[in-house]
Amino acid sequence: MSADYKKYWRSLEEYEAGDALDEQAAEEFADTPLREGAEPGRREFLLAAGFTLAGAALTGCGRAPVEKAIPLLRQPEGILPGRSYYYATVCGGCSASCGLLAKGRDGRPIKLEGNPEHPVSRGGLCAVGQASILGLYDSLRLQQPMARGKSASWREVDEEIAKTLDGIRKEKRTVRVLTQTVASPALNSQIRGFLKGFPDARHVVYDVLSASPILDAHRQTHGARVLPRYLFQKANVIASFDADFLGTWISPVEYTSGYSEARAVEATPPRSAWHVQFESRMSLTGTKADRRIKLAPEQIPAALEHLAVRVARKAGSPVLPAAGSPVPLPDEVLDELANRLWEARGRSLVVCGLPGAEAQVLCNFVNHLLGNYGATLDIAAPSYQKQGDDRELTALVDEINAGKVGALFLHGVNPVADLPGGEELAKSLARIPLLVSLSPRLDETSPLARFVCPECDPLETWGDAEPVAGVTAISQPAIRPLGQARPAIESFARWSGNGASAHELVRSFWQESVYPRQAGQEAFEAFWKKSVEAGFARVRPQPMAVKPFDVQAVKPMSAGRSSTGKLALVLYPTPAMPDGRHAYNPWLHELPDPITKATWDNYASLAPATAGRMALQDGDVVRLLISGNAIELPVLIQPGQHEKVVAVALAYGRTVSARFANTGPKWLEQRPTPGPNGMIGANAAPFLLLKDGSVRYWRDDVKVTATGKRRPLAVTQAYSSLTVPKNLDPGGGPRPIVQETTLEALGTGGAKHESEPVMELWPDDHPFTGHRWAMTIDLNACTGCSACVIACQVENNVPVTGRDEVMRNRQMHWIRIDRYYSGPPSDVEVAHQPMMCQHCEHAPCETVCPVLATVHSSEGLNQQIYNRCVGTRYCENNCPYKVRRFNWFEYSRDDRLANLTLNPDVTVRSRGVMEKCSFCVQRIQDAKAEAKLQNRALRDGEIQTACQQTCPARAIVFGDVNDPRSKVAQRMNSGRRYRVLEEINTRPSVGYLKIVRAKKTDTDKEGGARG
Amino acid sequence: MSGRVMVGIFQNEDDILSVTSEVRKEGYTILDIYAPYAVHGLDKAIGLQPSRLPWVCFLLGLIGATSKLGFEYWASASDWPLNVGGKPWNSLPAFVPITFEVMVLFAGISTVIAFFIVSRLYPGRRATSVIPGVTDDRFALVLEETDAAFEPSDVRRLLERYGAIEVIERTGESLP
Amino acid sequence: MAEVQAVSRPPLILGDKSLTQITSDICSAMLRRPGALWWIGFLFSLTLLAIGATVVTYQVATGIGTWGLNNSVGWAFGITNFVFWIGIGHAGTLISAILFLFRQRWRTSVNRSAEAMTLFAVMCAGVFPLIHMGRPWMGYWIFPYPNFRGPLWMNFRSPLAWDAFAISTYFLISLTFWYVGLIPDLATIRDRAGAGLRRRLFAFFSLGWNGSFRTWQRYEIVYTLLAGLATPLVVSVHTIVSWDFATAVIPGWHATIFPPYFVAGAIFSGMAMVLTLMIVARTVMHLENYITVRHVEVMCKLVILNSSIVALAYGTEFFMAQYSGNPYEQFVFLNRAFGPFAFAYWTMVSCNVLIPQLLWFKRIRTNIAVVFVLSLLINVGMWFERFVIIVTSLHRDFLPSNWASYRPTTIEVATLVGSFGLFFTCFLIFCRILPMIAMAEVKGVVAHERAQRRNRK
Repeated sequence: MSADYKKYWRSLEEYEAGDALDEQAAEEFADTPLREGAEPGRREFLLAAGFTLAGAALTGCGRAPVEKAIPLLRQPEGILPGRSYYYATVCGGCSASCGLLAKGRDGRPIKLEGNPEHPVSRGGLCAVGQASILGLYDSLRLQQPMARGKSASWREVDEEIAKTLDGIRKEKRTVRVLTQTVASPALNSQIRGFLKGFPDARHVVYDVLSASPILDAHRQTHGARVLPRYLFQKANVIASFDADFLGTWISPVEYTSGYSEARAVEATPPRSAWHVQFESRMSLTGTKADRRIKLAPEQIPAALEHLAVRVARKAGSPVLPAAGSPVPLPDEVLDELANRLWEARGRSLVVCGLPGAEAQVLCNFVNHLLGNYGATLDIAAPSYQKQGDDRELTALVDEINAGKVGALFLHGVNPVADLPGGEELAKSLARIPLLVSLSPRLDETSPLARFVCPECDPLETWGDAEPVAGVTAISQPAIRPLGQARPAIESFARWSGNGASAHELVRSFWQESVYPRQAGQEAFEAFWKKSVEAGFARVRPQPMAVKPFDVQAVKPMSAGRSSTGKLALVLYPTPAMPDGRHAYNPWLHELPDPITKATWDNYASLAPATAGRMALQDGDVVRLLISGNAIELPVLIQPGQHEKVVAVALAYGRTVSARFANTGPKWLEQRPTPGPNGMIGANAAPFLLLKDGSVRYWRDDVKVTATGKRRPLAVTQAYSSLTVPKNLDPGGGPRPIVQETTLEALGTGGAKHESEPVMELWPDDHPFTGHRWAMTIDLNACTGCSACVIACQVENNVPVTGRDEVMRNRQMHWIRIDRYYSGPPSDVEVAHQPMMCQHCEHAPCETVCPVLATVHSSEGLNQQIYNRCVGTRYCENNCPYKVRRFNWFEYSRDDRLANLTLNPDVTVRSRGVMEKCSFCVQRIQDAKAEAKLQNRALRDGEIQTACQQTCPARAIVFGDVNDPRSKVAQRMNSGRRYRVLEEINTRPSVGYLKIVRAKKTDTDKEGGARG
Repeated sequence: MSGRVMVGIFQNEDDILSVTSEVRKEGYTILDIYAPYAVHGLDKAIGLQPSRLPWVCFLLGLIGATSKLGFEYWASASDWPLNVGGKPWNSLPAFVPITFEVMVLFAGISTVIAFFIVSRLYPGRRATSVIPGVTDDRFALVLEETDAAFEPSDVRRLLERYGAIEVIERTGESLP
Repeated sequence: MAEVQAVSRPPLILGDKSLTQITSDICSAMLRRPGALWWIGFLFSLTLLAIGATVVTYQVATGIGTWGLNNSVGWAFGITNFVFWIGIGHAGTLISAILFLFRQRWRTSVNRSAEAMTLFAVMCAGVFPLIHMGRPWMGYWIFPYPNFRGPLWMNFRSPLAWDAFAISTYFLISLTFWYVGLIPDLATIRDRAGAGLRRRLFAFFSLGWNGSFRTWQRYEIVYTLLAGLATPLVVSVHTIVSWDFATAVIPGWHATIFPPYFVAGAIFSGMAMVLTLMIVARTVMHLENYITVRHVEVMCKLVILNSSIVALAYGTEFFMAQYSGNPYEQFVFLNRAFGPFAFAYWTMVSCNVLIPQLLWFKRIRTNIAVVFVLSLLINVGMWFERFVIIVTSLHRDFLPSNWASYRPTTIEVATLVGSFGLFFTCFLIFCRILPMIAMAEVKGVVAHERAQRRNRK
């Protein structure tokens, strides 16, 4: 089997059969004149000549250049040009390691989808995961290793490193490997193996979003440094202390799917987990809470303490944590919570995202008293998604600054940008004799390294992962490496003198360490094949030395510092940009933040009251100052945030984001995408605090001063309430765009949807016999995480428009998530509403188009015909939902590498034409064709729109309403179903399911609108 | 045209009006009258038949309207029926506006064309006016000297009595 | 009827002109070498036109994104200008056709230039629907023509398609009407001009007109027929333009009152524009004797009438919104009056309703300078009326999440300026090369009045 081309394989049989198949393939052509090597006779010659001629003529017909007709030199088995194929693999977006299916087409991956079989992520995928495919096609990724800032060959680099390492070994100098949480057991053991060779070597792990306190706390309480696996799906009462578990905390996709299962009101039996959120800023999780309790950062631990006391009393525990500083909360709030938790013993869950182990210990204590361990928290088969240890990190940083480190290898980390004291660190890093960075891009740290050994994109290489104990996943390549980059595991193997390939390394690791843990009787081959095909394997978890809960660990907390008068700075990750490693990704920058709806920036969020007191408007630039470090950011007024808090997102202001200088259309009045610093946002990491072995994400000594400058933010939603401004309010309350109901109402007869009378003005010329596509969206399940937005963008070739266009309200996303606030600005309720083309039966857009560029299909689709559109924009004006998107300019597609993500099934739209959600018509047609080929009827659920497929909360259901058994038809009959703007008789094909409020408040009327 | 003609030239509306009716009473044949503007009542004085152009206008308008309506129906309901916003195939009310416009267009343009044809007006045609100034301020009455009964001197006197500033006799060749 | 009035009224044309005088007055006005005023005006408007041409080229080459439009406000300046210009055009037709049918003799002094104004206004209007498209080069697709795509015709249900037909018909009919009216005068000029290109040109276009009365008779018929056709046409055109909005679902657009409201508005703005032009022309071209104070006054009266109709429409809109009980509708109108675009709304109200009330006073009606200023203000107000209707309805509609604002770019403003350039350039050229006043008709009126007087003696 020659190595001159990439060989894809459909099944493992083939992969193993290898060359035999090639011979077969050759034999296939045995009797044709095209057979290699056979000198042709006259007839053969004529035949061949004729064939070639015809071929030439045919290729002449197509628009596409001939060399692009089929990208593969020789056609591999199982890959048909124009047919998609899927490889099961692992998401490299973050250490949560969700299961993926990489959709390939003509030899290139074009889309990532959640692996529905995967036991952890269960088919969902977050926005970051969806967007991470752009990393593969990032043209600014390092294509080959670098030595002292100049590109070099692997051989040179490896030799030099080996030589230097020998020296270090002799001199017995310290060797350190600094990585983020390594999800791959194979890589972990490889690193271990590599370090074995050195007298003083350590593998230090830290996470930008640290969970270290949780692990530390469990060492104290359970004698093992474990991160429990949180099983939200089993919980009926959830209390979260500043843990944004739906947005950014540890494993959001997993938790979101569990959470929506715990709140599935239509399930049998109906579930509606009661969720209380303690937090100081408005987090994604906070927006879904039944009760959101707004506290200053320093008050949250106190609240936890008070809760612990109450629960302890109920449990009659011998130990009572001393309730320290008082909390500005009415007692009944905590009492009620304590009661609910207590009643739901074993079916409740308390999670805590606070820094510092004491708080976590208390959290464990509460969970222990409630008997949640083993029920809703699993530490026997814990999670490996975060393994960072901030103590070791602190130690390492000291070592580095003290110049004690001889060799340092960096993998997946960017300490200069991510850690406080970056500049100082940078200086000391530069002094390290051997600094090797495996970073795939030139970021803040890698230029300091003597050697940069870029690692492959996860989609280019073999690897594995064990997100939670007992679930081991294989990540197989979807394409051969695009550049000279080398998988991290190969690099470490090389440096420990092992020349094996990533595939061999992973495979042998599995043979030695994973295979023995599996239960089945089959041989390794079979096991390996099965695992590669499925993308994961269930094996015996590593035995955990977990001791029973040690009550002695529970100590009164170091007195919660009484609140200073000053503002507290809260540093947080956003769901769109949780980690600076994604700062290269334009999709994620243009993705509106689920709560603030801001794009292309980070900003200083202030509570309305605070902003008012400081006389600050949205977009006024303020200066944040803590002990010498200062950054300037525009203000964003965030309802529902605590008055004593200024919140700033991390992971911005990265050098990689300087690449967006030319993003956006070029014209007379265009404004640049990057900020005054030439980058997207400003880096707030310097404000982090590495203190007694844990990273502090809030400071209480920040000085905020107005600069008088202005930088208006690119926000996609200008008005955030369903109640119109007071001075323009004709009365009649909030608009019934988002509707909600209550549990009581649902209980009492609201179960079925009362069909509204249909008044028909016209003869029924358009009956929808056959299929009729429709969609339902469960607003109760939707968390607003915005994964669907990116999924749609990737699937449908939606261009990036740049900051200026967003400011001009010209963003192109086909699906947007409307976010509405209600109630007093100090303490708002939030609703998320995904909004896309409603595919109205009486579509106002169709009637007004003079050139028939948008018409209705016989299956109920509102079709947009791009090449017929002349761009009058009349349809856009007449769309009551304003979901149509217009190509104001020729949005650039000049990055030819990035263009490889384009979906060949979807037209790339040119300047001057209208576009919009098509219900993923290409997927519909694909499935129909498939069914036709197999000569069977379409199965319900066979067609999944991109947004539906990725939704971790399973909020979106698509299907054929003409099939009464289909899920969508049933949900259309739900008592919660309503349609937006039903009263203007557009007859949308999209049905929304009302939000279910657990409590009845005066603003909630049954089925009434939310304010 | 054969034979000789007599041209009476007048300076104002009233004279031409009265002389015309007088001349008709006397039974002379009026070939034509040339005037700088449309003198009201002159057509009665000469006794011209009313023009049939309104019929052209009406019929062409009708044809335009019906054919356009037919086309709209055929194109939207039969040739390539497309479901547009759930509207019926035959959305008659929506077809009316264009029908009306086309009707007006047909009627208007065709009437003018017909007018040009019947009046033998076409670009580049040589203008043949009896005397200069009929497009400025002169009125010219042209009589045909038919039979022996036509006594030029009498006619001349008659015309002058009605304020003809000049009376010329011509042979027909020089006439339009 | 007309006679009785004529008896009781001062003459329409001053200084008891003989027919020759009329001819020479009017012809000399165009034969005279152009004065400084004319040159200034012409070069100025030519510059504006050049600016307009440049920015339109830039916009078509770069993308419609160079306008301040966005995902919520898909139309703004472009369509505002379109409706504005169409409206201007209508007064021309009204004067030439409707007043002709009503036998209003005073129209004769102004109808020629009014018709010219119509043509140029419709030209300006026609530009905007084309250039506001995302792909103007595909613009011809909105007409049904045989093609190999099925054939795929077009959507006869779309008001924009109706527009296309209405505007083109309107232009063609107005052009014909104007030309037919010109023929006798062209002949007059032909007969005065000495040999040379000028004569040959006029000879060519006057179609060999020789004043034969047989032709005059048919001519009268045709002219009446055209007037009869143009009258419903002008109403239909602006009705259809108003349907662009009235047939939409957007609150603030979806209103049955629009057709009459728009037609009245159109004639209102058109009258104002006629006044502006007449006043300029009579001073620049020294035609005080033909375009008299009485003409101005009559026009002013029409302006007051239309102003009141428009005012009634504004009131009715608010009432209907209130009465409908539809919160979306109610909000739109509150938002117009007190929302972000309140300034536009109140400009509209004061210019279209309040200021024209001054014309009740004879002293103001007869003060040419004041009337000139008022006519300009009314044009401003009417432009804002269209802007208010289009933008305030779009920028805040059903879903608050879509609410957006709108501000024009320099490109857009320059395009509007350019359209004025086009209009005035055409008009000034017209003043130079064609008789601004319908000689044949004026002669008719003068002779008629003289006859009246003689009869009275």
